[in-house]
Amino acid sequence: MLRLLIAFGAILLAGPALAADKVTLMLNWYVYGEHAPFYYGKEKGFYAAKGIDLEIQEGRGSGIVAQVVAAGTVPFGYVDVPTMMRAAVKGAPVIAVGVALQTNPMSVMGFADKNIRKPSDIKGKTVATTPGDSMSQIWPLFLKKTGLKESDFQTVSGDATTKLNAVINGQADLLLGYVMDQSMKIKDATGKEVYPIRFADYGINLVSSGVITNTDYLKEHADLVRRFLAASVKSIQEASMHARDAAQAILNANPKGGKIDTLTQGFELTIPLYKDPTGKSTEPLRVSDQNMADTVAVMVEYGGLDAKAKEHLKDYYTNAYLPK
Amino acid sequence: MPDGLHLAWARRKTPGRGKDVMALSQNGWHRRLRAGWSRPLIFLMLLVVGWDLAIRIFHIPPYQVPAPKDVLIVLWQDWPKLLAEAWPTTVATVEGFILSALFGIPMAMLIVGSRTVESYVYPLLVFSQSIPKIAIAPLFVVWFGFGMMPKVLSAFLLGFFPVVVSAVQGFKSVEPDMLDLARAMEANRLQIFRIIRLPHALPAIFSGLKVSVTLAVVGAVVGEFVGSNSGLGFVLQRSIGNFELPTMFAALVLLSLIGVILFWIVDVIERLAIPWHASQRQDFMLAA
Repeated sequence: MLRLLIAFGAILLAGPALAADKVTLMLNWYVYGEHAPFYYGKEKGFYAAKGIDLEIQEGRGSGIVAQVVAAGTVPFGYVDVPTMMRAAVKGAPVIAVGVALQTNPMSVMGFADKNIRKPSDIKGKTVATTPGDSMSQIWPLFLKKTGLKESDFQTVSGDATTKLNAVINGQADLLLGYVMDQSMKIKDATGKEVYPIRFADYGINLVSSGVITNTDYLKEHADLVRRFLAASVKSIQEASMHARDAAQAILNANPKGGKIDTLTQGFELTIPLYKDPTGKSTEPLRVSDQNMADTVAVMVEYGGLDAKAKEHLKDYYTNAYLPK
Repeated sequence: MPDGLHLAWARRKTPGRGKDVMALSQNGWHRRLRAGWSRPLIFLMLLVVGWDLAIRIFHIPPYQVPAPKDVLIVLWQDWPKLLAEAWPTTVATVEGFILSALFGIPMAMLIVGSRTVESYVYPLLVFSQSIPKIAIAPLFVVWFGFGMMPKVLSAFLLGFFPVVVSAVQGFKSVEPDMLDLARAMEANRLQIFRIIRLPHALPAIFSGLKVSVTLAVVGAVVGEFVGSNSGLGFVLQRSIGNFELPTMFAALVLLSLIGVILFWIVDVIERLAIPWHASQRQDFMLAA
């Protein structure tokens, strides 16, 4: 009898926890400044207020995470949307339900004291790239827009770690990376400032990271997706006003996630990227049709994306689940 | 005295009789070659058919597993490009493998020759084997720069351990009776090594070399992933990033082929070096 009462009591206590939906969000890479809003939202209870028990996992590249979401293993992913489109055009059942970075964070960066500030300074230098990643595909467009040729500089290829090592150790002058990611890692390792030449400053308009989900999951859990996005929008808005606290939230969840100063600086570099470059969109995660059309045009011409993506564009993203 | 050693002596001392033995194995070799290739090929074709059926039956989407037809199309169309990229990988593999053999066999001799060396070095060797090479490969690029060196080092490190372990095993497994006989006949250490220890160890050494050569291919690819603009590892990395699964599988097929061909070459060398060994008298190819 006593045991029955204890069991009953346990079930009552577990009640509220049972009511919250357990949801996993897989990030595009190991955690860095850009991911602060999600950690901040979880810590501040924005997700819990919408009945969501959020778990954040670190992924191993947008391509892999897009495939994981396509397979249904994880409901939400935070990945580079053009990379997701590559998978979608091959039939992967994924869709972007909220595009976070509407200005892209791609850049070519090197130590600030090397004084490489303009594209013309790249001539004669050594650039480290990773074959097959998103930046290496848009790089030829950047060269075209800035009047550079492949023969103007040396290229070395390696994986993500090798790229960082190459710049840190002087084997390369520059690397292709995101303004808030590798720059901060290099600063953590060497204490020196890094100057990024941003692709977006040279007329390259394409979106970057966004929240994606499986299309079947979207049909079955439309309400959950709405609540998740509402909580995410609030997280982004609040985090943008409290950058340092948001960065601290990363460290509270993941003490080895980096250093507070560089995580804060990284997130502060991310905040301007939430804005649409043509000013056509005003809320976080709500992307304009023009921006997406520009993105697909760039991807088809330079990113090797199948041309039929242009016709199916509306299948790859939707703003319908964002808060009104 | 075991038959094999008898024949080896006979081969050196009486060329005529040796030639007969060699001629016999030569004819048998040609016969076995013809039968040897056909069976794995048939099995491979059955596997490919099974792969295609599995895709159709389970409706596996093309972004998860490519259809064999698409992989074959890529192999057919991009053959010259893939072959050109296969060359740097093969060179790195062979160089790494040769280094493994050159350093591995003397290392085994040292270990077997001295209890002190064995007690200090062998456990550390085993310890180092478990260190994942993919984790330290980026450091090679930092220390030695981009290019061939990190690839060769990576191939060497992966192939080193099997050679040492099997060579130690081979050198240690000489029958004590044989050694006693040699010493009774007043053979000096060099003669004992040359006439008894080394031939006795060769079968085990070759077995280790065969394992090592296939691991060397893996090592070369790991090295390319980490820091290179050429080679099949580079092709793999790029095709994975672009979701080009048929190209990725085509590169994997080529890498496996390189492994098979190198394994076969080592097998041929083994056949020439130790034709007297019991394992060479059996009727199957590509296995020992």
